[in-house]
Amino acid sequence: IEYSTLSYNPIIHKNKNKGTNHPKKMGFLHLFVVNKSGGLIHHRPLGDRAPTIGTNEWLRIGSTFHSLHAIAAEASPLRLLGNKNAYGADDGIEEINAGGILLKSFQTRTGVKFVITADPGTADIDYVLREIYVLYTDCALKDPFYELEMPIRCELFTQAVDLLVERVEKSGAGSFKQR
Amino acid sequence: MSKSVAAASGHALWAKMPKANAELFALTYGSLVTELIRDYDSIEEINEQLEKMGYSIGVRCVDEFLAKSEQHGMTVPTCQNLKDTAEVVAKTGFRMFLGISCDVTMAPDGNAFSLFMYENPLALFVELPKTNDMPTAAGGATKKWEDLKYSNLYCGILRGSLEQINLRVSCEYIRDVLQGEEVNEIRVTLREVLQDGAGDDYKEE
Repeated sequence: IEYSTLSYNPIIHKNKNKGTNHPKKMGFLHLFVVNKSGGLIHHRPLGDRAPTIGTNEWLRIGSTFHSLHAIAAEASPLRLLGNKNAYGADDGIEEINAGGILLKSFQTRTGVKFVITADPGTADIDYVLREIYVLYTDCALKDPFYELEMPIRCELFTQAVDLLVERVEKSGAGSFKQR
Repeated sequence: MSKSVAAASGHALWAKMPKANAELFALTYGSLVTELIRDYDSIEEINEQLEKMGYSIGVRCVDEFLAKSEQHGMTVPTCQNLKDTAEVVAKTGFRMFLGISCDVTMAPDGNAFSLFMYENPLALFVELPKTNDMPTAAGGATKKWEDLKYSNLYCGILRGSLEQINLRVSCEYIRDVLQGEEVNEIRVTLREVLQDGAGDDYKEE
């Protein structure tokens, strides 16, 4: 879906138009991964400022996002063929830009959704999402004890994700090619 | 996707993948099959087990394929029909993981295709015994080696990976170089295009 962002706080919107500078906090907040059936298979805070969210709450967030993702494609005024976007994955929510938070979602062609929340203005989120997909294939999928669609409990995966986020945050904004 | 684009992506991706020793790979697979032969009595069961193992590999392989081709900047365009899928599988997929390229022939009705492999990395150094030569296994029936589909793993891999992208297929090993034919042929038949669950539920409303 090409247009799905709504600002919940119109005041901030107006300030931006006037060119007022407000201090930008840049940082990744959370990562969560939803499987094909809508179940949450992974969640992880990516920074210190990520709010603590209980496990049950996480499960609710995962399923809610999965449903909203699907409903958004149905509710969109622009319906794509088979509800598949140009990339070949299911059409649905790609980005939510609210007053104080930015949420970006990437769905793979196999139905897995990687979702990252971050402070508005954080750069390179798309790059991070795609790199996390690669880490998923290398660490989680190649783990012989990992069953598909089950929660990811691979040390290697979590370590690699942490390293990735650290690397991206250190390199500064915009240094990774956006696809 | 045109043949040359698929082939070019395949070559480029093969260059970027970490490599393993081909002999180690073939010998490991060979010992795996040998173990299966010891464990199971009938050749059909062995073929089935190989296919199941391939299935588990396939469901994981496809994500790696999609993720890594993105990562290296070679997006695989969405396939419009089975022919595109076949090209991608044969030229990009097989080349990326095995370093070999396959030829594809589509069936006239467009619902099936055949993959032709001229070299088989799994079957290096392999020779299958003739049925008459083998002594009867202790307590078991003589095995008909002509029925053994040594590389049935591929069939499972194809079935698993295509299922993850919503194509339910059945794969069969038709000709095998180990059985004396000139080329390895795998026939892939499309059974059903699966619909994702969520879409259907919401359509009901």
